[in-house]
Amino acid sequence: MLAYLVAEVLGIEPVDVRVHPADTDLTPVDLGSYSSRVTLMAGNAAIQATTRLREKIFAAAARKLEVAPDRLEARGRRVFVADDPDRGMTFAEAVALGESMHGVLAFPGSYAPPKRAGKYKGGGVGPSPCYSYSACVVEVEVDADTGDVKPLEIWIAHDIGRSLNPLLVEGQVEGSVYMGLGEVLMEEQVFRKGVHKIPSLLEYKSPTTLETPEIHTILVETDDPEGPFGAKEAGQGPLLPVIPAVANAVHDAVGVRIDETPISPDKVIKALELLRQGKPPRVGPDKLPLFTFPAPRVVESAFGQPAESIAERPFGR
Amino acid sequence: MMRLPEFSYLSPVSVWDAVKLMADHGPAAMLVAGGTDLYPNMKRRQFEPSVLVGLRGIRELRGVRGSSRSGLTIGAGTILTVVSAHPEIVRHYPGLATAAGLVSSPQLRNMGTLGGNVCVDTRCNYYNQSYEWRKAVNFCMKKDGEICLVAPGSSRCWAVSSSDTAPMLWSLAAQVRLAGLAGERLIPISALFRDDGIQYLSKQPGEILTEIVLPPSEGWRSTYLKLRRRGSFDFPVLGVAVALRMEGETVREAAITLGAVASQPRPAPEAAALLVGQRPTDELIDAVADAAFKPGKPLDNTDLTHPYRKKMIRVYVARALHALVHGGSPR
Repeated sequence: MLAYLVAEVLGIEPVDVRVHPADTDLTPVDLGSYSSRVTLMAGNAAIQATTRLREKIFAAAARKLEVAPDRLEARGRRVFVADDPDRGMTFAEAVALGESMHGVLAFPGSYAPPKRAGKYKGGGVGPSPCYSYSACVVEVEVDADTGDVKPLEIWIAHDIGRSLNPLLVEGQVEGSVYMGLGEVLMEEQVFRKGVHKIPSLLEYKSPTTLETPEIHTILVETDDPEGPFGAKEAGQGPLLPVIPAVANAVHDAVGVRIDETPISPDKVIKALELLRQGKPPRVGPDKLPLFTFPAPRVVESAFGQPAESIAERPFGR
Repeated sequence: MMRLPEFSYLSPVSVWDAVKLMADHGPAAMLVAGGTDLYPNMKRRQFEPSVLVGLRGIRELRGVRGSSRSGLTIGAGTILTVVSAHPEIVRHYPGLATAAGLVSSPQLRNMGTLGGNVCVDTRCNYYNQSYEWRKAVNFCMKKDGEICLVAPGSSRCWAVSSSDTAPMLWSLAAQVRLAGLAGERLIPISALFRDDGIQYLSKQPGEILTEIVLPPSEGWRSTYLKLRRRGSFDFPVLGVAVALRMEGETVREAAITLGAVASQPRPAPEAAALLVGQRPTDELIDAVADAAFKPGKPLDNTDLTHPYRKKMIRVYVARALHALVHGGSPR
């Protein structure tokens, strides 16, 4: 993704850009690649560095072309006068001019998210300002004799901001769906005698291609003001709705509620037995862990919406 | 990363040479055919042979001979992919083709052999673990330890028979040919197994399973159903192998064998006997499934919960019988 952003700024092709794996001896500090933030944060930093580079290249090219730098454009591996495209030079020539004018062309870029509207627990990790919304529809087949839950088809709509490379984004979203299916149907951390009960990829089950249904990915493109060229994330967002969607589909299919993951066949069978006995057809924890939630605080939104105008307070008071 | 320990690999080209090598090296040696189960087990130090006698170079162990009319002989070294797709097996012993085709994944069926699957080591989730994991729980009696961790009061090992083909071959009344220093012997497959997680085979360690001999198929129908979490890779946590000989709509002979509920394939003769001489109505099938379900005693040492696996015996036996009586796909 970083190569696409750099190529876009410089008017060259992604194949012209080489992305070096980070070496923390050589790079400035960053908190890490987590929190669905890499494209957004590293992307914005790359755009800043590349824009600084382009400024220097334009300054040198402009002197040669005898125009003001702000009349230049970089596209198609060329640097040229925007309203007179024949006046220009190859990108490589422009870089050579830039180097003879400025010496080494090396520029850092950085990005810090906008100031948060309030302090909250977990805020210190530097979370992304642009999380996505996702919606998921799942069709399942439930075998009432065996409790088997088989997803038949999945539709997932993901708010990606601007999709920088739709093929890669779809792959990322499908990967999230697959992760969600594994989490909701199979994967379970069980400890016995102080060790993980099944610490191998044979026994810690994840879906195979045979358990992964047709996935229809719908990219909802918006233009996020904070994202690199409007992009948001496809890291963890699309994983989230898959799990409750499967649970709801099971309920819709056979009328039982499985309130914990994984929704394994033995739990479905148990809930169906409860249903037959006229008891609440639900399997899951009996109570929430003891935890006192702090009172929610409503703060001004990132887009300047004042707190008092936010009427809906999702967790009440 | 778990690595293979050092060992010598010997590759005889005849059964007799292999028998002699096994005798020469005694308990230090193990046989290996496809190696799909043995090598991972060696990485986890469940097996620690210093010599492996490879059977892959022995041509006489491969191939399918005979016919369904006179009985079929399958070389123990025949790979599972061939068994699952062989036209005579698919047509006349469909349960065996199905069982062979449900073992693990396509890649492993291309390496794994029928003989290897019949003799595959019993499994237990206290045993199929790395050396370090087993050490952390003080080992079990199947390897390096003293007690059975799934049934600590028990004097025996309860590891689970995890072959897909063995229960089906049992229901088909197959025989197996064993070659040893004292010569060859042909025994019913039911005599090959013992209900003990450690000594689960009755054959001598140096004896080589060379052939699986199927009786004539005239009038027989067969099917195999496998319970496992996923459609590939997984070992059975329940196998149901049913063979019926029908005359018109009446059952003349019946065999039901359960896999993965004991340390050997577990026949259900009382359940099967209910079918003989009867027309298998829905009510009768339910009664047979009930009778097969009762003696099954899975323990908490495989994937899925053991009460669930027991419940599924009834469902799977009923489904297998419906499929055989009414035709069509069992699931």
